[in-house]
Amino acid sequence: MRVGIVGAGFMGETHARAWAATPAQVAAIYAPREEPTRKLAQQVGASACRSLQELIDQVDVVDVCAPTDQHAAIGLQAAAAGRHLLVEKPLARKLGEGQELLQACEQAGVQLLVGHVLRFFPEYVAAQAAVTRGDIGDVAMLRLTRGSFQPWAGTAHWLTDESRSGGLVLDLMIHDFDYAQWVAGPVESVHARSVRSREAGAPGDYCLALLQHRGGAISHVEGAWAYPQPLFRTALEIAGSEGLIEQPVESTAPLDIRLVQQDAEGADIVAPTSPLAEDPFVTQMRNIHDVLADGAAPRCSAAEALAALRIALAARESARCGRPVRPDELVAEAN
Amino acid sequence: MTSLRVALLSSAHVHAAGWLAGLRQRAEVTVLGVADEDRARGRSFAAAQGLTWFDSYAALLAEAPDAVVINSENTRHAALVDRAADAGAHIFCEKPLATTADEARRMVARCQDAGVTLMTAFPMRFSPAVIAAREALLAGNLGRVYGCNATNQGQLPAGVPWFIDPQLAGGGALMDHVVHVADLLRWFFGSEAREVYALANRILHRELEPQVETGAVVLLDFEDGSFASIDCSWSRPPQYPTWGNVKLEIVGEGGLLTLDAFRQASTVYRRGTPGAQLAYWGSDANQGLIDDFVDSLLQGRPPAISGEDGVRASAIAEAALKSARSGEPVQL
Repeated sequence: MRVGIVGAGFMGETHARAWAATPAQVAAIYAPREEPTRKLAQQVGASACRSLQELIDQVDVVDVCAPTDQHAAIGLQAAAAGRHLLVEKPLARKLGEGQELLQACEQAGVQLLVGHVLRFFPEYVAAQAAVTRGDIGDVAMLRLTRGSFQPWAGTAHWLTDESRSGGLVLDLMIHDFDYAQWVAGPVESVHARSVRSREAGAPGDYCLALLQHRGGAISHVEGAWAYPQPLFRTALEIAGSEGLIEQPVESTAPLDIRLVQQDAEGADIVAPTSPLAEDPFVTQMRNIHDVLADGAAPRCSAAEALAALRIALAARESARCGRPVRPDELVAEAN
Repeated sequence: MTSLRVALLSSAHVHAAGWLAGLRQRAEVTVLGVADEDRARGRSFAAAQGLTWFDSYAALLAEAPDAVVINSENTRHAALVDRAADAGAHIFCEKPLATTADEARRMVARCQDAGVTLMTAFPMRFSPAVIAAREALLAGNLGRVYGCNATNQGQLPAGVPWFIDPQLAGGGALMDHVVHVADLLRWFFGSEAREVYALANRILHRELEPQVETGAVVLLDFEDGSFASIDCSWSRPPQYPTWGNVKLEIVGEGGLLTLDAFRQASTVYRRGTPGAQLAYWGSDANQGLIDDFVDSLLQGRPPAISGEDGVRASAIAEAALKSARSGEPVQL
């Protein structure tokens, strides 16, 4: 299996490392900027491509780690060439783009996998499995927190441009939106508040979203790009009719090293880490490899990734208009 | 005034013993006794606490207490406030002051007319950790506040069935637990809530077939533009190492403030007791609240927490119930 990674930033590097643990071979790298492309290609022994088509021509699988607003265009071109797709979350920046991508992959008969890596983080997997086994009965209240500093603060990085990334809600909180629907089922309505929806130029962002699940459960999702560096915190709690699972902020770190802060300028995005035998990104990639190689069922289907995008877009819309929004009623033209 | 004669009206609420213990710490206070419309409950409380039992509220109020502590079920607060005000007694009332804002307002007006003090029991304002958090906010350490993620989750009070009786409690988890944090947020932000949205369900404690919400979360918009959520669910199982929590995580331009008001606790494991128990060793906020009530009367000054504070918090809880029913945000 030959893989081409589009994008040579934080996620491109992360995926390249993860692919290395699978039987697949990263054969090609393409990103618009030549230097990072050459560097990453050299690291993994892949060819550095000068165009997307050049990459597509060399591989079986296209792994899209490009900025969110480019996911759809890259994916469509790859699908048209009959290549399987792995797209980093979120599926796309806009609902219409996501829908188009699903349709194109179905028509082309290629796989569309989306990197909702939270479904491979052990604490989240264990809690989901416990719920599925019925250990805590029916889910009543699911509480999810994810926060860090504002990545690339004060720079022109695409992540800071909400028209390109969808901001905190689409880039960070979508992890938990997807997890919420994985654990508690489809979401009927979303009510949210965010700082950026009220104040476009705010230096950070903070968002609270309440989800009403169709089956009766409620989710409370908190997202922050407003913590001081280098803080990155996640928390998980599920209360059910027969019990409670708690994974509070304080206990997610078995190891805590606090060093005197060096100059913290220009901090990049980070992923939460916990000492584990296997990096969850690797676990994810091994699963993705098996799905593509053996046709196993994906842990996150394309339809679920589209549903997660709908929840996130509904949260953005609710924070903007102030009212609860039904993800299923969003129209592609406006979102 | 140099001494106070205090009467306990009802022993329905689980906090009654705590208020009594606080009163007994004060040499100036004489506790006259307790009356309760549930005579069996009242007699047993009186016996357990070594209190004089009065067979009726009228008999107890005929002793002309200077002040009363109302521990009744939520929807019975108003009638007891009326009786105490008629008797000219100052009033310390368990939260929520009332189950509707209108009724709470009427109670405040009634006390004003009678010239008696009405204090709402919001002890968290006397927690040193809470006070320190407020001081940090007032000092501007967080800059502009963006929002707050708060929980006041708890166990369902065991063996006290009126908490899930809509006639007596006026609601479930929303009525029991939203008011504490709602009051703290008003106090912290110096701003009033202008809109309330809530989601609720009855999945927790389903075996009791509750006619009230047992799990719920509220999203509040404040006039200053900040927003806050309060998870008020009865989501701590019976074997949880403590009764529940009051936690606030406030995020602002300047960073993150986390407050866990009952964190000052040791974990205790005992032979014969399954699991762990948390032994709280922090300061007693209940005593601070009782002291303020007693001192305000002795010194002839208003108490730190007013009836109006109770009205505001009750209005938020009432709006939350309305929103949970309609699925729509409710304006205050």
